[in-house]
Amino acid sequence: MVELQREPYTGEEVLRELHPLVRKWFTGRYGGFAQAQLYAIPNIMHGKNTLVSAPTGSGKTLTAFMSVLNKLIELSLMGSLEDKVYCVYVSPLKALNNDIRRNLEEPLAEMEELHGRELGIRVMVRTGDTPASRRAAMLRNPPHILITTPESLALALSSPKFSLKLKDIKWLVLDEVHSLAENKRGVDLNLSVERLQNLAGRFTRIGLSATIHPLERMAEWLVGFEGGKPRDCSIVDVRHIKELDIKVLCPVPNLISASQEQVHNSLYALLDDLIQQHKTTLVFTNTRSGTERVVNHLKTKYPGKYVENIGAHHSSLSAAHRLDTEEKLKRGELKVVVSSTSLELGIDIGYIDLVVLLGSPKSVARALQRIGRSGHRLHDKAKGRIIVLDRDDLVECSVLLKNALEGRIDEIEIPENCLDVLAQQVYGAAVSGVEHVDNLYELVRRSYCYRNLKREDFDSVLDYLSGRYVELEQRNVYAKIWVDQDARTMGKRGRMARPIYSMNLGTIPDESYVTVKVGDRMVGKLDENFVERLEKGDIFVLGGKIYRFMYCRGMTCHVNADAGPPTVPSWISESLPLSYGLASEIQRFRRLMDERMGRPRGEVLEWLRGYLYADDNAVESIYEYFREQHRYSVIPHGGRILVEYNQAFKRRYIIFHSLFGRRVNDALSRAVAYVISRQEHRNVAVSLSDNGFYLTVPGKVQAYNAFRKLTPQNLRSILVEAVDRSEVLLRRFRHCAMRSMMILRNYRGARKSVGMQQMGSRILLNFVRKLDRKFPILEEARREVLEDLMDVGHAGEVLSRIASGEIEVKEVNTDIPTPFAMGLIGQGYMDVLRAEERREFIRRMHEALLERIGG
Amino acid sequence: MDSLELLPGYEAVGLTLHVPEHKALVFADTHLGFEEALNRQGVLVPHFQYKDVVRHVKEALELTRPETVIIDGDLKHEFGAISGQEWREVLRFLDMLGDYEVRLVKGNHDNILGPIAGRGGVEVIGELRLGATLFTHGHQTPENLECVKTVVIGHEHPCVGLREEGRVEKVKCFLVGEWEGRDIIVLPSLNFVTEGVDVLKERLLSPLLQGDISGFKAYGVEEGEILKFGRLGGV
Repeated sequence: MVELQREPYTGEEVLRELHPLVRKWFTGRYGGFAQAQLYAIPNIMHGKNTLVSAPTGSGKTLTAFMSVLNKLIELSLMGSLEDKVYCVYVSPLKALNNDIRRNLEEPLAEMEELHGRELGIRVMVRTGDTPASRRAAMLRNPPHILITTPESLALALSSPKFSLKLKDIKWLVLDEVHSLAENKRGVDLNLSVERLQNLAGRFTRIGLSATIHPLERMAEWLVGFEGGKPRDCSIVDVRHIKELDIKVLCPVPNLISASQEQVHNSLYALLDDLIQQHKTTLVFTNTRSGTERVVNHLKTKYPGKYVENIGAHHSSLSAAHRLDTEEKLKRGELKVVVSSTSLELGIDIGYIDLVVLLGSPKSVARALQRIGRSGHRLHDKAKGRIIVLDRDDLVECSVLLKNALEGRIDEIEIPENCLDVLAQQVYGAAVSGVEHVDNLYELVRRSYCYRNLKREDFDSVLDYLSGRYVELEQRNVYAKIWVDQDARTMGKRGRMARPIYSMNLGTIPDESYVTVKVGDRMVGKLDENFVERLEKGDIFVLGGKIYRFMYCRGMTCHVNADAGPPTVPSWISESLPLSYGLASEIQRFRRLMDERMGRPRGEVLEWLRGYLYADDNAVESIYEYFREQHRYSVIPHGGRILVEYNQAFKRRYIIFHSLFGRRVNDALSRAVAYVISRQEHRNVAVSLSDNGFYLTVPGKVQAYNAFRKLTPQNLRSILVEAVDRSEVLLRRFRHCAMRSMMILRNYRGARKSVGMQQMGSRILLNFVRKLDRKFPILEEARREVLEDLMDVGHAGEVLSRIASGEIEVKEVNTDIPTPFAMGLIGQGYMDVLRAEERREFIRRMHEALLERIGG
Repeated sequence: MDSLELLPGYEAVGLTLHVPEHKALVFADTHLGFEEALNRQGVLVPHFQYKDVVRHVKEALELTRPETVIIDGDLKHEFGAISGQEWREVLRFLDMLGDYEVRLVKGNHDNILGPIAGRGGVEVIGELRLGATLFTHGHQTPENLECVKTVVIGHEHPCVGLREEGRVEKVKCFLVGEWEGRDIIVLPSLNFVTEGVDVLKERLLSPLLQGDISGFKAYGVEEGEILKFGRLGGV
């Protein structure tokens, strides 16, 4: 059973369970136990699976490991400590792994000093970076605590010698599970854990998570199922411990009438102000390009102020650069660090007293995770400021703030029944040894992610792996496993099976990155898509520094340092989608506003101040925004989708005001476009956003009718057709094919040309499509596009509510676009270098509108 | 399998070209062994096209009953050494053509064709003249054009991209036009692995096709049917 632990133990109760040496060390070192420790330590000592949801800096290392260290010390002092692995710790980041190792070695060293003799407890890290010599040493002298990554764990399971060292583990600690569970890396880990339990028998599972909802789902992911029911798990929820000091800030009093220059200058003045008032500030933007821009602007606007004390951190920067920034942060040498998403996870970055979010973080959970990075010790407040630059952002962040303060967090979405990861894991199992097929199916179903896996899908994956899709004479080349139908067993096939597996495992798709070098020195990486567009002489920003592009040779891009100004427009937008939960809350707010529009201004403002926790400026801006929409047209909300026909600037816009988040809108808009193309043999251009989507069409198009043709029953099949020949399906197919090892990164030693792989995946896709439309890898690519990239599930829900009448769909014609439409169309121009034009245009429209409705 | 006259004396039969005057059947760019090249790049697509190629060629042979078979270049795929698949498939292919006189025109992928061709008992030549027709692969400009009225090349893998409902379908096609005062016929590629080059959008490789080709006529071949697309400029 999965249940929330209601009462903590007392400090004395915990101390009593500890070994005298550990007790002595702890009481000498610390004043008392952290909250999470009071709940979790005795649980873990008694062998209960435990999920701990706690903010950063809450002493999580000891929360998870106190029981482990305690037991190991007991064994050591009794002379019974054996040469095997007792505890495995897995985290998604190498930096975290290093932190944890340090956090374990320090107490061990301190206890050794107290004791006066060595304890002989070994803690070691084993990842892709671990040299072969160290790995061999680990075989001879295995660590008692093994620190590793999901990929290395899978690898360890399939290595005949090392896996034996894991046969007796007693504890498994998984860190940052909230970030792992949302993607296929977590799915892969989940299966590895079940295989580990199959090997070692039951052990205590400990999961460490940041703020997430619902915790029960996270716990089920952690512990898996047995006999169709979740195994036991105790949930420790201490996320409320840190007080929250969060505000939404506008750099200018009136977001719509201010010019781009005013907004820009005020924004940086505000940022500078905030940074100077605090010791160390962490600024999150949502994109890598945003990170670069902010660092660049701070440096140029305040020359001399931000030179050595500012850092940039994102995944395009080299590992060396990122490590350098992290180290400087820990030493307190940086006044401000600007990051995209890479510093969200809990690596130790020293003391941060303020977190600034530039623009909406798009989900309550993410906002709390990011803001939770501030305030190191347990009793500091988590201090965050969200800065908004347009009215939609203002509404979104204000609703987000309300939900954050009231503890309403959006739900975590966990991918299920991923056939590509399954193929890789079954292959791994075959490499580990002969398996009984039915037992393997049962094992797989114990994982949360595969608890509903259909037998036919499992069999289809086995068919693929055993090369059933290839003629007999070629099968030995393509089959990775053999399956004996009579004995119901399977195993690896051929001498190449193991090396191919170990050289190609992993779930993170190969992004095609180009290395950037100045002379021989590597300074970072760039997305291939971006590099394709670079011309000689183009100037761009990377790692806070400015470079001029010279030329590219193969997968390396040669640049020289330059002084700017940058000439290249923003990078590929990697903006995060608005969570469905938060979108629903915003819709709810819109409806409440709609209901109040008839009331006197003062009354509504009063209500807003109470509902939103926002300041006067914000409240007035929001009121004006809604009033304008209401006076001029109609407010769309949770019960009303507005379809607006507008003919501004010589184009016809058909705007769907459907605030469901980009993923749902992706599904709806693609389906609509597809229906239109079938019934009218026309292609329409679709622009997508979190707040809705719009079509731009020359001439008339029956968009409303097309939209009404969608039903919860036909949505999926329409989408499958719609994406059938699309680039997005091809790209995801390539990723799935790599995970299923139908496309190999490393094969026969030769260096793989990415271009050849991309062309090859197209050929492979055509081949597979003709062979069997239900080929598992193709099915998985479709599932990934429909469920992970888009959100076909919630889109279907929306259609149900339309069908039942809960949501009305209302059409209006406008000549000046409605204020909400302006926001939508404006969002379509993601390229910030044209922000001036965009802002100007919105301002002109706004003035025209005000005239129309009489101020 | 459909057939259609492209020019007097030159008839398209499926993806092959029939020249009755010389009792010859011509095709190009089978790229046997392509799959193995892909495999070496880590793309594990099985060897699937050989039997489709053979079937297509056999059908064309049945319909036209020639005496000579001309392969206008790129019979095999790899630039460098010869792969295992290439050996097997090319030898089998040449065996299958044992009843005909086979002329192999060298393509840019046929660098080391010599050994295989030798084993198959066939000669490799740079270009072939039969009467007033010149057969060459098309990756290089032919030098001596004396008495040549018609040039037949491969190399380009021409396709026409049809845009429909947001997707692009590429259809293999013959191109018929003029070059240096002579008629030129560009053969479609007789392989079922690649899609080919969309001549409406993509840059062409052959030095003979660098001029304005909008006046060229295209004849698409789809599922055995031959479709007239008309002038490229108008498609």
